[in-house]
Amino acid sequence: MRRNVILLSAIAVSALAAIAASAQLQGGDVRAQDVTFLGQPVTSEQIALGQKVYGEYCASCHGVNLEGQPDWKRRLENGRMPAPPHDESGHTWHHSDQDLFAITKLGVGGVVPGYESDMLAFGEILSDEEIAAVLAFIKSTWPERQRDVQARITAKEGGGS
Amino acid sequence: MKDTNMTTTPRYSTRLSRRAFLGAMVTGAGLIGLPFSLRAAPGATGPAIAFDGDALILAQDTLSRSDGDGGWIELSAPAVGSILSLATHPGRPGRIAAGLAGGGIALSEDGGHRWEARSQGLPDAPAAAVTVAAAEPDTIYAAIRGDGLWKSEDAGRSWALAMDRPWLADAERDLTALASVDLATGMGGIWIYAGTELGLTRVPDCFCRWQDVQPGDAMDALASGKPAPSEAPLPEGETINGLVSAPSLPTRLYAALPSGIWESQDAGVVWSQKLNTRALAVAVHPTNADHVVAITRDGLVESRDGGANWTALGRA
Repeated sequence: MRRNVILLSAIAVSALAAIAASAQLQGGDVRAQDVTFLGQPVTSEQIALGQKVYGEYCASCHGVNLEGQPDWKRRLENGRMPAPPHDESGHTWHHSDQDLFAITKLGVGGVVPGYESDMLAFGEILSDEEIAAVLAFIKSTWPERQRDVQARITAKEGGGS
Repeated sequence: MKDTNMTTTPRYSTRLSRRAFLGAMVTGAGLIGLPFSLRAAPGATGPAIAFDGDALILAQDTLSRSDGDGGWIELSAPAVGSILSLATHPGRPGRIAAGLAGGGIALSEDGGHRWEARSQGLPDAPAAAVTVAAAEPDTIYAAIRGDGLWKSEDAGRSWALAMDRPWLADAERDLTALASVDLATGMGGIWIYAGTELGLTRVPDCFCRWQDVQPGDAMDALASGKPAPSEAPLPEGETINGLVSAPSLPTRLYAALPSGIWESQDAGVVWSQKLNTRALAVAVHPTNADHVVAITRDGLVESRDGGANWTALGRA
């Protein structure tokens, strides 16, 4: 009797794990399909590339989990602001695709004259495709609400969603 | 904004000392023990002024209220703290938020007769300016001296840091005035304008960065290489003592400066002087953008035509 219970429990756990894994895969697929950049659909390959590039060039400041630098709302001694998070707790999703691309490529100082920031102008380091992939990866991590709000902001700028 | 001799204001500690903790416990116990109607009104040092519907709330030496009949009712009670700033919202008649000199915020829900402390989570430092979000009446912003801009989304019951102070002329600057301006930033929200000792600045309510006031929305501010349109900013280097945006016409701003009352009809790009008497605080009627009241060196004054003509507003 006890052996049967253990066997049934093991089967149930395995089944649940399989369902969870399947759901996760489906979720990943849906997430990739839901993400666009500058009006164009994003593929899972682009997201994978973006995740890799993010890890190499962005995570050291913006955090491995997109959490930003500690105490990021407090100014550094030099007057500059720490790297903000790119997850839903930050303000990245308040910017359109066009602005996110410009800020990443040119640096904040490149689009706001005189603004001093520790962020590099990645246009000299990454290709346009890599920058777009990084931003697609970041967008793919946002919850639906943040993605919808950011899509509307992007659409208002005429850049699609 | 070139005054490089100004020094950075020290940041107040947000750590809760044993003394402050005991004081807060005693105060809290006292407040809980009192009937609500007996809770203390903030004392009034001011100067600060705000409309509550057609009524005026004035903090200048004492706290008083005028309901439009020319008379003033003094709202006196044992002080929980002197008032530095006042804010109201047309969508919440009777609710008045007061920034306190001793630290924290007090809130009244009955037009200023009874008050509750709403300071949970705020640093123990003067609340120099306060404003209510134009699009969210339960969202209140407070400028904490020596610290930064704080935000409450539950009418002051809890607070969180929204943004550090702006960096101007090589130093952090305290905010001296706040106004929620119901104009789209292009980032899904609206603007918060702020006064400093060196002039005007603003931040989108997503809090990405403090920036100068420029024509258009934040996206225009981000764009480079565009020809600059004509501008007439506020006098350089003057402290902004008071700042309001008309709820019925958000592009209409009034600012109280040492040089007088200034008005803008385009959300702060072009300003014109409307009164040349030292101004300490300013308020605008919730439904009439031309109806403005100011506390000046010469007393309380009122204009019903957008600042073209002023009359003394007597206090009986």
